[in-house]
Amino acid sequence: MRGLTRWLWLALLTGSLLGLAPASAQITETEVRLTLDPAMVKGSPTAPVIIVEFSDYQ
Amino acid sequence: MLDRVLTEYRGSVKLVFKDFPLPGHALARPAHEAARCAGAAGKYWEYHDRLFQAQPNFERADLLRYASDLGIPVGAFAQCLDGGRFRSLVEADVEQGRRLGVSGTPTFFINGVRLEGAAPFEAFKQVIEMVLPEGGKR
Repeated sequence: MRGLTRWLWLALLTGSLLGLAPASAQITETEVRLTLDPAMVKGSPTAPVIIVEFSDYQ
Repeated sequence: MLDRVLTEYRGSVKLVFKDFPLPGHALARPAHEAARCAGAAGKYWEYHDRLFQAQPNFERADLLRYASDLGIPVGAFAQCLDGGRFRSLVEADVEQGRRLGVSGTPTFFINGVRLEGAAPFEAFKQVIEMVLPEGGKR
């Protein structure tokens, strides 16, 4: 792997951020530490929006 | 489609690819490891694109040929692939995806907001516009 492994804290607010959950729905927050390989990142390093794609080649 | 997102939101969006070979796809895992080997040779995205074009032809000979086509030294590439140099890192990606509840592909997280399946550009736009700081919106 090139360069240093970087770490990203990903906060996932299920449903709530899109306003899709009804007011009475429970908000679930999950925090997972992700490893980032710089070779697998595309776009501006300073971009405020990060799209993390989990995908399968097959 | 993601290329369009990166183009239209140039400077505002970056893409992080995470390996998530599905259990039923026997040839996917070596393909993911091969892409990382290509990354070690500075050709990650070229190889990534080649794999999507070539699916599902991911036998070892195919993976070596794609590397050769991209000018990657095949000897070192084969050593990387056969030695499982990136096996644990691919597995780490899978584990991180599982902890986030990923079960199918593709699954996207846009600043933490989940988007599942082959979503159209407009779906990405809706979420990006929501999470972009004021001034960065299109």
